[in-house]
Amino acid sequence: MTRVQLDLVTKRFGATIAVDAVSADIQDGEFVTLLGPSGCGKTTTLRMVAGLVDPTAGQIRFDGQVVNAVPSHRRNIGLAFQSHALFPHLTVARNVAFGLEVKGTPKAETKARVADMLDMVELAAYADRMPAQLSGGQQQRVALARMLATDPRVLLFDEPLSALDRNLRDTLKYSILDLQRRTRKTAIYVTHDQSEAFAISDRIFVMNEGRIEQEGTQLDIYLRPRTEFVANFVGDNNAISGEVAGFVPGEPGEPRLVDVRAGDLRLRGMDPGNVREGDRVLAFVRPENIEIVADGFGGDGENLLRGQVEQIVFEGPTVRLLVDVGGTPVKVTAGGIDRLTLLDKERRDVTLRLQDVTVVRDDPNVAA
Amino acid sequence: MASVAASAPMPAAGRRGFRLRWLGEALAHGYVWAWLAVFALPFVATLAYSLRTPDGEWTISAYQYVFGSFTGNLLLSVQTTVITIVLNLVIAVPAAYAIVRYPIPGKSFVLSTLNLSLYTPAAVMGVSLVIAYAFLFRIPQTMTGLIAAYVVGTFPLMLVPIIVALRDLPTVFEEAARTLGATRMQTFWRVEVPLLGPGISAGILLTFVIIFNEFLVTLFIAGPSTTTAALRVYNLTRTAGFQPSTAALATTMQLVSFVVVLLFFRFFGSRYLKGTYLI
Amino acid sequence: MTHAPAEVAIEYHIAESEARRRFGSPRLKGLALLAPAVVVAVLFSLIPLAYLFQVSLTQDSSFFFTAQYTLDNYREVFSRYRSAIVVTVYLAAMASLIDLVFGYPFAYILVRKIRYREFVRTMMTFPLFGPLYLAFGLFYILLPNGPLGPLFTMLDINVAQYLFSQAAVLFSMAVFTFPFMVMNIGAALSNVDPMLEEAAKTLGAKPWQTFVRVLFPLSWSGIVAGFLMCLGWNLGVFAQPQLLGSPAEQAVLSIQMFNKGLVQFNYGLAAALGILLMVMAFAVTWISLRFSRGALGA
Repeated sequence: MTRVQLDLVTKRFGATIAVDAVSADIQDGEFVTLLGPSGCGKTTTLRMVAGLVDPTAGQIRFDGQVVNAVPSHRRNIGLAFQSHALFPHLTVARNVAFGLEVKGTPKAETKARVADMLDMVELAAYADRMPAQLSGGQQQRVALARMLATDPRVLLFDEPLSALDRNLRDTLKYSILDLQRRTRKTAIYVTHDQSEAFAISDRIFVMNEGRIEQEGTQLDIYLRPRTEFVANFVGDNNAISGEVAGFVPGEPGEPRLVDVRAGDLRLRGMDPGNVREGDRVLAFVRPENIEIVADGFGGDGENLLRGQVEQIVFEGPTVRLLVDVGGTPVKVTAGGIDRLTLLDKERRDVTLRLQDVTVVRDDPNVAA
Repeated sequence: MASVAASAPMPAAGRRGFRLRWLGEALAHGYVWAWLAVFALPFVATLAYSLRTPDGEWTISAYQYVFGSFTGNLLLSVQTTVITIVLNLVIAVPAAYAIVRYPIPGKSFVLSTLNLSLYTPAAVMGVSLVIAYAFLFRIPQTMTGLIAAYVVGTFPLMLVPIIVALRDLPTVFEEAARTLGATRMQTFWRVEVPLLGPGISAGILLTFVIIFNEFLVTLFIAGPSTTTAALRVYNLTRTAGFQPSTAALATTMQLVSFVVVLLFFRFFGSRYLKGTYLI
Repeated sequence: MTHAPAEVAIEYHIAESEARRRFGSPRLKGLALLAPAVVVAVLFSLIPLAYLFQVSLTQDSSFFFTAQYTLDNYREVFSRYRSAIVVTVYLAAMASLIDLVFGYPFAYILVRKIRYREFVRTMMTFPLFGPLYLAFGLFYILLPNGPLGPLFTMLDINVAQYLFSQAAVLFSMAVFTFPFMVMNIGAALSNVDPMLEEAAKTLGAKPWQTFVRVLFPLSWSGIVAGFLMCLGWNLGVFAQPQLLGSPAEQAVLSIQMFNKGLVQFNYGLAAALGILLMVMAFAVTWISLRFSRGALGA
């Protein structure tokens, strides 16, 4: 119903720049996530969309209309807070009715709407309870009902699940997604938890130090990180520093590949498109994308490394190893039934096969 | 198993230790109760005296004065207390809101200035006001002067609990109301005032307890037509000596104060009184 | 990363300042909300105190006719009223000390051992209704045919000797300010984790060692704050010496001020006594705020 655009939006608090020229175009009905560490500016960005913080510069548009000067209460948005922020002095029903009451909605209509909303979050039986009498998950569901009751144009979520325990988080994140899909409202979701972001978003914006580092689908972000920060922040990664040795054409229809020389090691990964021969680059490979192949196999093939196991940690479903490859420590996560064979302390020499190596320009001017 | 352990004879040392600890507990509670008796004793003595005739008979005849010649003083006390509470609210609620929610230059200095009267001994305040009222403001011995003195002396007490309550109140409730479409005024009346209720009530309680029983500043600045009940108690004690009728008035004042305190504790507990005059 | 071109940023800055003008700056709004409180404080606290200071520099009540400026009032205060200052400070300090000695164990028991705390707090409000009723009630108790007469006879105490005595004044002063001491020490003690005491115990500390080495240092700020708060209240004492004291105790500054100013109409001297008392009270408050950083330290 509403397209949300951010155009070079900036927020300064005194000398610090919390949000630095962020631009984003969020389509009607899209579910996007702002993902990043604490202090990266994601919450400030969301609060600017909500109208709780004034941008220092830049434009925020709803359906092409600039809303910078529109106060929060006239933007018709719904915001879910980290703490549920239910009014402790009002019953569940009065909380859900709040937005309708302040707009002067007729009583009968308000009552019907509240009943609908409570039905939707399956809490109709709790209408007359006080918020303090509900469990954490129920409170957050009431907060969702309250936010949807006024039929807002945009749904905003500020880490709504961070105060809940893990099991509740898992169920509630799908409830949120389900509600968004049913109401088809544009949603912006802020979190530092990548599994939450991956589970529910159409598109992810990774933020760091007030800027958007990368935007894209889950797979883009996970498999093709474009900056060192994204590669390190999303999931676990091995970073190997080296330089571009040459280019290799890829499979038909795929981008070309790049060869990276890092000391004695040779790695082949996807071409980021902005490097030339001799440039300093970082090659990233995820621990779970490294396969341990039979020792003595091959030897010097592409992305095939030999090393010694330094450390083995058994974590149940996975085994984590630290492998010394010619002086470079490489983290490996092994799953599947084969992992158990790795626990043999005698077996120290291994061969690693790296898959999905990502290459990123190593630019010292861009802070990681 | 458990029953065997319980019925097994305790070692002698353990039993002595148990007895010692029991004695210690009893002494500790006894100590507190002894002090509670000391707190209540003057009131109980006053109450007892108000109910005795010179011949040692029990009577409630002294209370006829409370509902007779003292009624005017009591009504004046109630009237000044109520007006002071209303004015304190009008002054302190916006001030507390400004101090907590707005950028005020030199905030701690402003707060100290506002609290100045709180640290001024009552007699100093009395003598400074009697001079200022007589020769500067030209409102000697008036109701206006009395109430102005009460307001300046007690609005800081109203300020403290409201500031505490406002600081305790997370801004998310305000923000939630705003994003749900409430205007600033709607947010203030529908969300903040109810949530600040206990803090505001604490301020009302403090003002009530102090102003209703104030006699010292009043002694300096009140005139014959502005003699409050507490001042009447003092004046009567100084002029007529120790009378059952005075005791009856003093008892009534304390009883009313205590009932109000009890009601407050019953409804709001003591949380918002922490760091203030009463707790 | 692209940055906003400078001219775009400037354009939005202008838009924002226009919005601000429309809705008013938050600083002005804050000052407007604060204004009534400031006006009241200036009119009825600051100006009268400044006026009092000016009056204290004039002869007798000459200020109101033809002001004769002089330092005589202060000379007189520090010569003829030296004993009044001494007795005021002595009574206040002694009463506060009594509060400390008896209030510390009370606060400890209240915080650590008592479940019926609300009840104790409620009962503790009685003294706070005012020293007037307290002195009044105590007066009756000390009368020879008072309500506790049989008890005192049984204990062979001649209670009447305490009427109009320093002991009676000190006792009533201490009872009045007792809750302030308990409140301050109690607040400090409730911030001390009981586990620290248990830890000291398991390390072999005897109860008195635990007190001296653990509890006392950790509750020190509460002790100082409580003592100074009691001192501040007790310096302005009026009703208790007036109703229960001998002429020696009735020499306290507050009573002297009333007598000089409102009975003898020597406003200059009354004002000088008032300024002295105020300076003492403010000094005590200032030190205590330094120490506690104030419940509201902004």
